[in-house]
This record gives sequence, structure tokens and C-alpha cells, in this order.
Amino acid sequence: MTPFNDEDFKKVERVLSDAHRSRRDPSLNPDWALNVMRDVRREALRQGRSTMPLGLDRLVWRTAAMAAVLAVVFTGSVLIYSSGDAVELSTLFSSEFDATVALLE
Amino acid sequence: MSDERDVIEEVLRGQIDRFAELIARHQQHVARIVSRHVPSDCVAEVAHDVFVRAYTGLSNFSRQTPFEHWLSGIAVRTCYDFWRAKRREELPVSALTAEHQVWMDHVLAAESEDQFREQAGRREATELLEWALGRLSAENRLVLTLVYLDGYSVREAARVLGWSVVNVKVRAHRARHSLRTLLRERKLQDDTLQ
Repeated sequence: MTPFNDEDFKKVERVLSDAHRSRRDPSLNPDWALNVMRDVRREALRQGRSTMPLGLDRLVWRTAAMAAVLAVVFTGSVLIYSSGDAVELSTLFSSEFDATVALLE
Repeated sequence: MSDERDVIEEVLRGQIDRFAELIARHQQHVARIVSRHVPSDCVAEVAHDVFVRAYTGLSNFSRQTPFEHWLSGIAVRTCYDFWRAKRREELPVSALTAEHQVWMDHVLAAESEDQFREQAGRREATELLEWALGRLSAENRLVLTLVYLDGYSVREAARVLGWSVVNVKVRAHRARHSLRTLLRERKLQDDTLQ
């Protein structure tokens, strides 16, 4: 009984590697490409149902980005300009509230 | 190659039939890669999946690398998925016979270049290789095949697999260790039976 030594491993690995590299190139059936194209067309149809026309997706994302920027600017301006009017606003809302309570009564 | 980029652009614009040109141009390259990773009777099926995946992901092709490199990555990763799926199915792996033991003894006794070449050309070499690879995990199998059998550099293998260089190095080391353990166990088993 002789266990493998490093030299033995190298020999076997070398031969296995040569065997692997000497595999013959496969030949694909002539119908193979037609079958692939059939599935590609099916995939295109499937994608076509769920995706937007070319360019529209880019437009949507640009619009979304611009909308987000506008929303941030609008929120910022509201916060800046309304800070001085906070007292007026609370008065306005409290008088609205009083009017509603009076109506309900 | 700009011609090929035009074809890709046209496919992306909806001229799907032009994808057939890409298939015709690269089918042999893909089949060659696939045949080194999966059994011969599964090559057509896996190569088919490679091209359908390539079509599905064509909009992600960066155009900064050659199309063939990008396609090679898809081919290798499709083979990886093939073995992951097979492992889940737990298909039986063919057993080895006394012929393989005799073959291994011949390999160990071989000294000359001709003797090595003769043993590499024998059916037992491919069968033993398939037997050993069939016992490795999908990751180890893939890395071992790329780095030690196909002769890819660690960096090339990392690029094709989309893994880090360190990950490939560690995997390659572990995979080789596993292969050696399998061969050692097999040899001890055969020696005990004799």
C-alpha cells in the first residue's frame, strides 16, 4: 500500500489536465441556433409586455429626478418663508377650529 | 469589432433577428467553454441558456470590454448554475472500476512525455476526472476547472466569475486540496481491495 506523495499528485494532475484540454470541440446541431432564436423571440415578447419603448424609460427617470429636486426646493422654501408666519398660521388654524366647533354646536 | 457593436445596437433597438448573427459568430466559442464544464450531452442545452441569458442582459453590456469576454463570463456562470441545480437534484455519479486503478498505476509509473500523452488520451483519464469533479462543490469544481485545468490566471478567473481575486485564490487552493484528498482516498481504497 503506497500513499500518494506530492510527485504522484503532480503526475496525475498533469495527465488529468492534458485529458481535459484534449477534449474534442463539440459540434452543435444545425437546428440548435433556430431553437435559440425561437426562445430569444419569446423572451423579447415577454420583455416587450413589461418594458417601455426604447428611450421612454430614460425620460421617466429624468423626470422623476427633476420632480425630486423640485420637491426638495419647494419644501425648503416653505420652511424658510413660513417660519416667520408660524404665529399667524396657528392663529388662522385655531380660528378655523373655533368656527368649526361653533358650527357643530 | 465596431460592426459587432452595430449589430448589438440594432438588437437593442428591436431588430431581434440580428441576434442570430451574434449566435453564429460566437456559438463555437461558447460551446467550447461549456463543453469543458458540463457533460457532453448537456452542452447544447447549456449553450442555449447562455445565449438566451445574453439576450436578456444585452442592455447591461458595457461595450468597454469585447463582447466575447462578456459572453465568456455568462457562459461560465451558466455552467456554475447548471452544477448548483444538479447538486440539488443529487444525481448519482458514475462509479470507478478496476480499469481506472490500473490506469492510475500506469500514470504513476510513467516517465516519458509519450507515456504521459498516451495515458491522457485514454478514456479512463476523462472518466476519473469526471468522477473527481462530480464530488466537488459547484464552486470548487468551477475554480479547479478554470485555474488548474484550463490554465486561466487567478485574475482572469476572477473576472470571468465576477468574484474577487482573493476569493478565487482561496477557492482554488481548497479545490485542489479536495481533489488530492479524493485521489488519495481512491488510491487507498483500491490498494485495500487488491
